[in-house]
Amino acid sequence: MKRFFRRLGKNIVDLWTNFINFFKVANLNVKASMCLMGAGQFMYRQIGRGILYLGIEILGILFFSIYGFQWLVGLITLGTVEADPWTGLEGDNSVIFMLLGLMSLVLLILFIALYILNVRDVYNTSKLVLRGEKPKTFKQDLKDLLDKKFYKTVLFLPILGTIIFSLLPIVFMILIAFTNYGEPYIPPVLVDWIGLENFIKVFSIGDIGPTFFKILGWNILWAIATTLLNYVLGLLLAILLNKKIVKGKFFWRLFPILAYAIPGFITLTAFKFMFSQGGPINFYIEQAGGSALPFLTKDGTWWARLIGLLINAWLTVPSVMLLATGILSNINNDLYEAAKIDGAGAFRQFKDITLPFVVFATTPTLITSFIGNFNNFGVFYFLRSDVTSNGYFVSNDTDLLINWLYRLSIDNKYYSIGAAISLIIFIITSAISLIIYIKSPAYKKEDTFR
Amino acid sequence: MKNIKFLSLLLGSVTLLTLAGCDPNITTSNHNTSSNGQTTIVDPSEDDPVFAKFTGQLEEGVTVKVVENDTAIKMGYLDELIAAFNEEYKEYGITAVDANQGEFADLPNTGPYGYGPDVVYQANDVLMGWVDDKHITPIPTHLIEAYQSEVIPDTAHDAYKSVVNNVNYTFGVPVNIQSPLLYYRKDLLPSDWQETWDDNNNDIPDMVENIVDLYEFSKQYHAKDDTKYGFEFSLNDFYFTSGYLFSYGGYLFGNNNRDDTDIGLHKGNAKYGVQILRQFAAEMSAACRDDSAKLAISGAMASGKYFASVTTPDVRSVIVDALVDTYKSEQGLSQDEAITKAEENVVGVPFPDLPSNGDLINPSDDYIECKQMGGINGYAMSSYTKCPNASLAFINFATSYKMVKLREQIIQIAPCRSDVAEESTQLSQQLFERTTNGSIVLMPSIKAINQVWTPAGSFMADVAADPSRGGNAKYDTLDKIQAALEQLSNDIYDAIHLLN
Amino acid sequence: MRSFSNSKTMNRKVKKVLVAIAIYCILIVICGVFFFPCLWLILSSFSSTGSLYDIEGFFPSSFSFDAFIKLFTDTSQYNYPMWLLNTLIIAICNCILSTLLIIGTAYAISYFQFKARKSLMKGALVLSMFPSFMGMTVIYILMTQFNFVNNIWGLILIYSCTAPLGYLVQKGFFDTIPQSIYEAAKIDGATNARIFTTITLPLAKPIIVYTALTSFAWPWSDFILPKLLLINKDNWTVAVGLMQLQQNEFARFAAGSVFIAIPIVILYFFLVKYMVNGMTSGAVKG
Repeated sequence: MKRFFRRLGKNIVDLWTNFINFFKVANLNVKASMCLMGAGQFMYRQIGRGILYLGIEILGILFFSIYGFQWLVGLITLGTVEADPWTGLEGDNSVIFMLLGLMSLVLLILFIALYILNVRDVYNTSKLVLRGEKPKTFKQDLKDLLDKKFYKTVLFLPILGTIIFSLLPIVFMILIAFTNYGEPYIPPVLVDWIGLENFIKVFSIGDIGPTFFKILGWNILWAIATTLLNYVLGLLLAILLNKKIVKGKFFWRLFPILAYAIPGFITLTAFKFMFSQGGPINFYIEQAGGSALPFLTKDGTWWARLIGLLINAWLTVPSVMLLATGILSNINNDLYEAAKIDGAGAFRQFKDITLPFVVFATTPTLITSFIGNFNNFGVFYFLRSDVTSNGYFVSNDTDLLINWLYRLSIDNKYYSIGAAISLIIFIITSAISLIIYIKSPAYKKEDTFR
Repeated sequence: MKNIKFLSLLLGSVTLLTLAGCDPNITTSNHNTSSNGQTTIVDPSEDDPVFAKFTGQLEEGVTVKVVENDTAIKMGYLDELIAAFNEEYKEYGITAVDANQGEFADLPNTGPYGYGPDVVYQANDVLMGWVDDKHITPIPTHLIEAYQSEVIPDTAHDAYKSVVNNVNYTFGVPVNIQSPLLYYRKDLLPSDWQETWDDNNNDIPDMVENIVDLYEFSKQYHAKDDTKYGFEFSLNDFYFTSGYLFSYGGYLFGNNNRDDTDIGLHKGNAKYGVQILRQFAAEMSAACRDDSAKLAISGAMASGKYFASVTTPDVRSVIVDALVDTYKSEQGLSQDEAITKAEENVVGVPFPDLPSNGDLINPSDDYIECKQMGGINGYAMSSYTKCPNASLAFINFATSYKMVKLREQIIQIAPCRSDVAEESTQLSQQLFERTTNGSIVLMPSIKAINQVWTPAGSFMADVAADPSRGGNAKYDTLDKIQAALEQLSNDIYDAIHLLN
Repeated sequence: MRSFSNSKTMNRKVKKVLVAIAIYCILIVICGVFFFPCLWLILSSFSSTGSLYDIEGFFPSSFSFDAFIKLFTDTSQYNYPMWLLNTLIIAICNCILSTLLIIGTAYAISYFQFKARKSLMKGALVLSMFPSFMGMTVIYILMTQFNFVNNIWGLILIYSCTAPLGYLVQKGFFDTIPQSIYEAAKIDGATNARIFTTITLPLAKPIIVYTALTSFAWPWSDFILPKLLLINKDNWTVAVGLMQLQQNEFARFAAGSVFIAIPIVILYFFLVKYMVNGMTSGAVKG
C-alpha cells in the first residue's frame, strides 16, 4: 500500500515536471492554444481547425455554465426537493439527475480530452514548422479523413453509439450499486448515495450470500456443460453431414436450419408446454401406465437442468453445425489422401486431422459462446420462472445469475442490490474472458493468415 | 500498470462522491404511514391541498386516455362506454379513448414521463400498489356520485383507502367484484341427483355445496372413466387456493391486510386448508401441479374431462364457446340451441363449504364457509394526468348506476354497487353479500402483495405434487405442513423486508 | 488368395452399406428431433379449438384455418398486421444500419493499425459481457429525455447503436483478406475510402449477407426491450404482441409464430451458403 502511494506520488511529480518541461519548450502559439482553444491554430493560419476548436470551447463553456455544472452538482446531491405528483409539485427525480450528471461528466471528460488534443495539435504543428514544413490546411485534413485517417470517419458513429447505449448504461449501473435506488427508494422518493452498503448486504444478510454462491456454482457448471455439449453435438452433426456417403446434403441441412431460424421465444414457449405437467409428454407417460414426471416443478431440479441443457442444444447446435461445416470444407483434402496411403482408419483420420484443425479454428467462438451461455437468460426464464426453491432468496435451483438478477431488480425492484451483484459478476466474467482473450492465438497472432 | 492507476483514480473519485453525497438524514424515511398513539388518522377534508386541482372547471377539448380490462374491450363494453361518455360531454369537446396499452399498462414507468393513461381500470391490488410512489392520485369522494349516494359497501371502499401522512385518502372508485368461482357442468350431474345428492333438499347439488361431497363425487366420477376427473384446477395459482388457508384462520398480512411485517399464512389452522387441498390433489391429475389445468379448462370442461374446476369469471365465456362447439359436433345441435344449452349448463358458484376439522377422509359433520380471495376492480386516476377534472368526470360517468348495470349485462361480472346488485343475478347478489360480510377476502391493497404470488404459488404447486410422492411425502402430517407454512411466511417476509 | 481378397472386398462393401444405413438412420433421427417441435407448432396453429392445452397428446384432433383468419381479421385487440408491419420496418432499417456500422467497425479495426486499437478491442469485449437488461432502465430514461419512447425509431436507434459491439466475427473475416490485394490499388493512388468501397466491400459479400441476415432476424425475436420502449399496442412488435396472447390462445400464438418464422426460414435457406462462408472465415480468426 505504502509503495503504491509512493509510486502514485512519484507519477504525479513526473507528470508535473513533464508539464513544466513541456511548457518551457512550447512556443507562443502552443501557449496561446493552452489559454484559448484554437488560438494557436489561427496563428498558424489553420482557419478551419481554429474555428472548430474555438467553437468547441464556446459551446463547452456555454453548456457547462447553463446546464453542465448544475447537472454535476445534481449527480452529487441526487436531488433535494422531493416531487409530489399529487399537488403537481415538480421536484427532483434522482434517477434523471444521476443520468444527466453522468452525461455531463462524460462531456466534461470529452471536453478536457479535446482541450489536450488541441494543445497537442498545435505542438505537433509547431514541430512540423520547425522542420520547415507547412502547416496542414483544412482541405488536407478532410482528405486525410478519407484516406490515412479513414478509420476515424468509419469508427466515429459506432464509438459514439457504443458510448451512449452501452458504456453509459454500464457506468450508470455501477453508480447505482452505490446508492439505495430500489424499493422503497424509487422516484419521486429521493435516492441517496450509501457507499458500499449494498455489497455488505449481499454477503451478510440472510440467504442472499449462500444463494449467490449456490447459483454461481450451478451457473459455472451450466456454462461449461452446455458449451461443450453444443460444441460436440454441432461438430458431430457437421462431420456426419460432411460424409461422402450422405446424398442430398441440402435437404438434410434444412432441418437444423429450421430450428435455427425460428425465434427463440416461440420454441421455448412450445417446449415449456411440452414438458408441463398436463403436457403431451406426461400424457403419453400416463397413457403407458406411468405417473407424470416432475419435469419443471419444484421437485424437478435435475430434470429441469437436463431439459434446459437439451433445449439449449436444440437451439444452438444448428449454428455450431453451420460453422463447423464451413471449417470442414476448408481442410485440405490432400491431408486425408496422405493419411489413407499411410493406412490410417476413419477414426485415426478424425483424431489426427479433423479434430485438431476444427478445435484450432473454433477456439475464439468457444469463448464467446461460453460467455453467451453464462449469461443465457431465455432458457430458464421461460421454463421455470414460476417456481421458487427453499433456501434460495427469491429464486430457484435452476436459475442462472442473470435470471436471479432479473428477479431481484425487475420483479422485486431491488435495483441497487441487483446492480451490486451484477457488478461483482461483471468483474469476474470480464477478468476471466479478458485473460483468455489476450492469451488466445486469435488475439496474439492476428496476422498469421495474412 | 496504467490500468491500476486509472482504477485507483476511479475508485478514489467514487469514494469522494459517496462521501460528498452522504446525507446525515439518510435514515429518516419519507413514508409517514406509521401511526402510533399520539397521531390520529383523519379523513381528508374537502379543501385538502391534493384536491386543489379538482376545480370543477372541465378542461375543454381534451382527450381522456382510458386503460380498460381486456374482456371489457373484447365484449364491446368499452366501445359503448366511450360512445356514451363522448355523447354526454360533446359540448365540452371532451373525448375518452382507449389508451391502447393493454390491460397491464405500466403506469409507474410511463406516467412520470408523460406517456401514461389518465384513467386506469384494474384490480385493487394493482392500483393500490401504486399509491406509495404516488402514481395514482387521491380521489375527492365528495365529488363522486357513487360514494355520495352510499351504494359502495364499506369493505370495497376500504380496499381503496390508504393512509398517507395520517390522512386516510381514497384512491379509486369500485366497479366490480371479481373472485374465482367454482364452475361445473350441470348436465353432467347424475340424473337422479335430486334424490341422491341433495341431502338438505335445497335444490342445490351437494357436491357443489360442500367439498366432502365433491370429493366423494370426484372419486366416483373418476372410477367410472379413469381419464376423467370430478374436480380439478391449478393449485399453483394462489389466487385460487389462498381462500382455503383463510377459512381456517390464516391471513396474508396483519392489521386487516395492511401490515406487511406480519405474514400470517401459518396462523390459526391454516394447515387444515393445505391438508384438504393435498388430499384432494390425490384425486386430480398431474395437470393440477402447474398452469396446465388452468389453461386446459375450456377444452377439459367441454369434453367432460373435468366435471368442475376453478377459474375467474372472465374465462366462463371461453368455456361456453368450447362447449357450444362440442354440442354442435357431438349432439348435432344448431348454433342457437347449442348456445342456449351451453349458457345454461356452465354454472358458477362460490367455493363449497369445508369440514371444520380440515380433513376430507374423516370429515366432521359440521361445515364452515369457504372463504375465497377476491378483488375489487375499479377506476383510479393517474397523478400525471393533464386533465384531472375531465378524468374525474369520466370516472363519475363510468361508475354511475347506468354504466355499471350495462357492464354487468355485457360482461356478466358482479357489480359493486348495491343498487345494481339488488336487481342482479343470484350469483352476483351472493358475491356482493360475501364481499360485505368478509367471506370474500379482498386482495391486500399494499405493494408487498407482489412478493407473495410466486413463492406461495410455488409452495401450493409442491403440495399438489405431494400425493404422488408416496413414501417421500413432504406434507403428509399436519406438523410438516405447519413447518412448511412457517417457512413460507418467513420467505415472504424476507423477500419484502430483508433488503429494505 | 484371390477368393480371400474377394471376400475382403465383399466384406468391405457390406460394411460400407451397413455404415451408410447407420448414418442415414442417425440422420433421420436427428432431423426428426429438429423437425418435430416445428411440425407440432405448425399443426397446432391449425387447431380448431384454439387452446393447445385442450389437446390430448401432441396433435389436435380437428383442424381449421380459424387461427390464421382471426390473426388478420380480429384486430381490435390484437392488431397482428400492424405488429407485422412495425417489425418489418424495424427489421429492414436495423438490417441496413447495423450492417453498415458493424462492417465499418470490423473493417477499420482489422485494416488500420492505430494507437487505440487494442484498447478498443478489449473495451468492446468487456462491454459485451454485460447483461443488457440491467442497463435498460437507464436507456429507457435516456430515451424519454429525447422523446424517443413509444415509437419504433427509438428502438431502431438503440438496435443499431449497440450492434457494432458484435463485430468480432466480421473482423475475423476481414483479417483473412490478404494485404497484397490492397497494395496494387494503393500504388495507383487510391484513397482508403475508395479501396474500401471498390475492393473490400465486394470481397466481403458473404460476411455482409451473414451480418444483414442476423440483424434482420433479431427484431423478430427480441421482446424485452420493445416491451419497455413501445407503450401503445399499435407500436408493438410481433414478439411483444405474441408474448401477450400466448396464454389462452395458443393456436393464435402458434399461427402468428409460424407466419413470422416462414419468411425468416426461407431467407436462411437461400443464404445459407453465404452464411457458412462468412461465419467460417470470420471464426477462424475470431
